Amino acid sequence: MPDLSNEEIHALGRSVGLDIQEPELTQVGYSLNAILEAMAGIDVPGANSVEPLPLILPNPEVQDES
Amino acid sequence: MNPNEIPYLSATELGGHIASKEISPLEAVDAYLSRIGEVDSKLNAYITVCADQARAEARQAGEEIARGEYRGPLHGIPVGVKDQIYVKGVRNSDGSKIRDDFVPDFDATVVANLRRAGAVILGKLNMSEFAMGDPISSYYGAAHNPWDLERNPGTSSTGSGAATAGFLCATSLGEDTGGSIRGPAANCGLVGIRPTWGRVSRYGVDGACWSVDTIGPISRTVTDCAATIGAIAGYDPNDPYTGRAPVPDYRAALTGNIRGLKVGVVKELMDPALGLDSQTREAVEAAIQVLAELGAEVREVSLPLAQQTGAIVRTITHTERVSLRPEWLRERPQDYHVNTRIAFMTGNLIPGQVYYKAQKLRAIVRRQVLDLLDEVDVLVQPTSSAPAGKLDFTTGVASKESAAQALVEGSYRGPYSLSGAPALSIPCGYTREGDGALPLALQIAGRPYAEVTVLNVAYAYEQATPWHNRRPPI
Repeated sequence: MPDLSNEEIHALGRSVGLDIQEPELTQVGYSLNAILEAMAGIDVPGANSVEPLPLILPNPEVQDES
Repeated sequence: MNPNEIPYLSATELGGHIASKEISPLEAVDAYLSRIGEVDSKLNAYITVCADQARAEARQAGEEIARGEYRGPLHGIPVGVKDQIYVKGVRNSDGSKIRDDFVPDFDATVVANLRRAGAVILGKLNMSEFAMGDPISSYYGAAHNPWDLERNPGTSSTGSGAATAGFLCATSLGEDTGGSIRGPAANCGLVGIRPTWGRVSRYGVDGACWSVDTIGPISRTVTDCAATIGAIAGYDPNDPYTGRAPVPDYRAALTGNIRGLKVGVVKELMDPALGLDSQTREAVEAAIQVLAELGAEVREVSLPLAQQTGAIVRTITHTERVSLRPEWLRERPQDYHVNTRIAFMTGNLIPGQVYYKAQKLRAIVRRQVLDLLDEVDVLVQPTSSAPAGKLDFTTGVASKESAAQALVEGSYRGPYSLSGAPALSIPCGYTREGDGALPLALQIAGRPYAEVTVLNVAYAYEQATPWHNRRPPI
């Protein structure tokens, strides 16, 4: 996946109300492109069918192992 | 006892002296205040020291104990609290200029629980700005590592690590999202436990990331850690995600017997190709050998996504952090440290589908962790890739490669941030003298709500090794 350019990152920023200027624009680009590349590189078969529940819900039945 | 020696006692030892009335809580607080006055100009561990309030609380604790109303192991014990955890009437800065004038009008539940246990709140501890995990971003200046003042004490609970290791409090509270209890514990030669998500209330704590944040102790010994978590854990109606499982007596459960316990070594996080420092790897391997000699059944296990968990954690936490108060970034960008501003702006730009993918991967990681914990009782691995690094005051992000490397580092602690399982860091050695004699750390993780097991493995290891007896040179 090609890196997002500074122009593209600036436009993304505008879409959420941020006017990101140099030198921070380039540094946001480093951070964002690193995250996007790392995430794009994770390919787990069957991941699309997983329900993305983020939590372990509290379970009143759970007892500590004391 | 010479008052100058009081801060060097463990919280448990100090508690024994207080229970037997050999040392009063006021003497303990005064000893710590004196040491803070001598040393904190070097460590910068505290943002706010509550001297008058702490002395008043200590007097009250002493009067209660004199009346025979002893509350338990934390009664009269001076505790430091990370500056995102509310203490009524005391500034709560989050390490940021933006919150420099914020004074909460109530105690966080964990603080109320500490008070109920009789603890004395000594002050509010330094931290990375908004717990973003950057060692230099605090508006109040960086905290320094007592083992080497030029080094990072570990983020984001920088002051909790520095103060506890530097004997500026008897025990402390930190907050762990991607590793902010375990990292400072590792860098500073301490014991820190990230509890099960939901074991400890987060009410009255400024959030970093709602679905990952946990509050827990950073202490000098396993017993101190057990006493501290025992005081703060439990159901809280103000935090609907806390579990109702009863809180055991963690200290009483420290038998040190781990014979027959099944220990899994996560092979992906022992991989030198991930950047694991050789001395760290050797120390962790030696620690695993000690567990085997203590009777544990050790075997290698696989957590296939372990090396990617840093990126998954960062995607989720960056996105969720910026959603807490998005208007600040738009209205007061100049009031953030530049490193925080870059991180928050990055978080704003992560696409929704990437965040959603991260949540799906999180569910898979959690399944992988819990499946392994059906086969073994605990999982072990390094807490970090290397000992504490030098504090680097260069601002900004140097390159995409350095940003990518930071994601990899997060993978050592990522599996348990994502799964919500409890994980503890304990010292397992030191680098060679020529390399600074810096602490190295073992991480021990267990099943949800099985903090007792995790603590007991750590206790068995601690009792069999000398590492907890070393003092930093400050």
